[in-house]
Amino acid sequence: MTHDHRARRFNVEALTRVEGEGGLIVEVRDGEVADVHLRIFEPPRFFEAFLRGRAYSEPPDITARICGICPVAYQMSACQAIESALGVEVDAPLRDLRHLLYCGEWIESHTLHIHLLHAPDFLGYPSGIAMAAEHRFEVERGLQLKKLGNRIVEVVGGRAVHPVNVKIGGFYSTPTTATMAALAEELRAGLDAASEIARWVATFPMPDHELPDGTALVSLRHPTEYPMLGERLVSTTGLDIGVEEYLDHFAEVQVEHSTALHGQMLAGGDYLVGPLARFALNADLLAPRAAGLAAELGLTSAERNPFRSIVVRAIETVHACEVALSIAERYLVPTRAAVPVEAREGIGCGWTEAPRGLLFHRYEIDANGLIADARIVPPTSQNQPVIEHDLIHLIGNSLHLDDAALEHICEQAVRNYDPCISCATHFLDLRVLRS
Amino acid sequence: MIPPVTVIGIGNPYRRDDGAAASVLARLGPLVDPAQVRLVELDGEPVRLIQSWEGSRSVWLIDAVRSGRRAGSFHEVSAERLEEMDDHGVRLGGGHMMGLSDAVELARVLDCLPQTIRVLGIEGVDFADGVGLSREVDSGCAAAAVHLAAEIEIDLSH
Repeated sequence: MTHDHRARRFNVEALTRVEGEGGLIVEVRDGEVADVHLRIFEPPRFFEAFLRGRAYSEPPDITARICGICPVAYQMSACQAIESALGVEVDAPLRDLRHLLYCGEWIESHTLHIHLLHAPDFLGYPSGIAMAAEHRFEVERGLQLKKLGNRIVEVVGGRAVHPVNVKIGGFYSTPTTATMAALAEELRAGLDAASEIARWVATFPMPDHELPDGTALVSLRHPTEYPMLGERLVSTTGLDIGVEEYLDHFAEVQVEHSTALHGQMLAGGDYLVGPLARFALNADLLAPRAAGLAAELGLTSAERNPFRSIVVRAIETVHACEVALSIAERYLVPTRAAVPVEAREGIGCGWTEAPRGLLFHRYEIDANGLIADARIVPPTSQNQPVIEHDLIHLIGNSLHLDDAALEHICEQAVRNYDPCISCATHFLDLRVLRS
Repeated sequence: MIPPVTVIGIGNPYRRDDGAAASVLARLGPLVDPAQVRLVELDGEPVRLIQSWEGSRSVWLIDAVRSGRRAGSFHEVSAERLEEMDDHGVRLGGGHMMGLSDAVELARVLDCLPQTIRVLGIEGVDFADGVGLSREVDSGCAAAAVHLAAEIEIDLSH
């Protein structure tokens, strides 16, 4: 290794993750960033093939296995798509329960990311464990809140990991009012903890950085709710479409350096999904306490610094606690756990907001109720191009840094997007090769 | 009352032999008293892992491993030696974020380690996508469940 900053090559070893293998290669020539390749190999492709020939009832359970952190997102998008194909509409109380289940996943996923994956970057620790040794109170508070997220998923979804209670048309069973009352009690304390976590996170030193110019922010938008379950897709470039139109505007393309597909807007340009995009396009729909806290912390819909995504995640966690509490407090046992479903031939699309961003599903079902074709577009593949371009932008402005500092900021920047590869926390065995 | 023993099966049944732990749990269920033994199936996410054993004094972690031994054989690994064999998140079948040794270390830092942690590795051979254990691993899981039931009985008698 040399310390010639004009020619550098960063090579991140390949990784094996739940959602694939990832790596990062950065090439600097003549003092400028020549290329950045984020490589990810995504098992969801296998799942699509795996789903063919399965009964229409199976995707919620099968796709839940794609990710241990966001199984609910896969279940909800699958249910929405298949119910659309079969002409099924769930009762309002069942939709509320699904919303509650999704809140649990947001709380769990965001809290894990904040405390064990991303906060150590901001506070200068090599790992969540090292940070826990010196910030035990904050980590324990965070993990308690994460446990509450798990608890919600357990109460509504049947178990905390890969929930088993979700079915096409609703649920196999619904919680009792006593269980929900106990959950509401926990959520009151959880909401206070979430608010304190947001205030804590907002004190972190934030690198001064913005998304590359022209990056479109894309999110779902619901008339009355901060989006988890839909229903239209909007963007900062003026897009406003229904789920059936998604594939008319977005595509996945193969790139040479990766076996993963890259998300692409057919109109051109990069686009971002996830918390920063959701907040930019839906800040007016946050629950009252979350909205007040965002204002207190100076977060506005004009925020474009990806490093501040951690603050948005904390605000979204507050929101999820508020919504969950509201649903738990007004809960009455639904008159039925699921609406009747009959198999028929059809095509249906569904989309929801996974913690990491938009998750699109499309299914073709044959006359026997078997899946003829499945398509899943996860948030990580959609964000890959913008991650690469953001790194080009960031590294270009950071070439004065030494290797260690540049490595650190690259890792931190990748984790801004909470891609599944970042679930490997501090995975970047980053090597700098200089010529 | 929290059961004094927790047995945690880690893995993904949709990755063939990575479902070994789930198979062991299913077989162990009828052999133990649920008031004494809590059975938990997890995917390896470390926070869930350490929170799932809260209140128990003895913990067993069951996971598929690939060490070159005979398929379906099982062997106990000391929790203190986990770091030597742990691959920090690139565990068979895909662990999220951190490895088992990191989970144990996080528990130590947060003072939530049980009195004993024992780890049972089931040697897998096929970790491709899909369901169903290979024949040798399926047999090994049945034997591992009987072994565990006996070990737990000894533990509870103390």
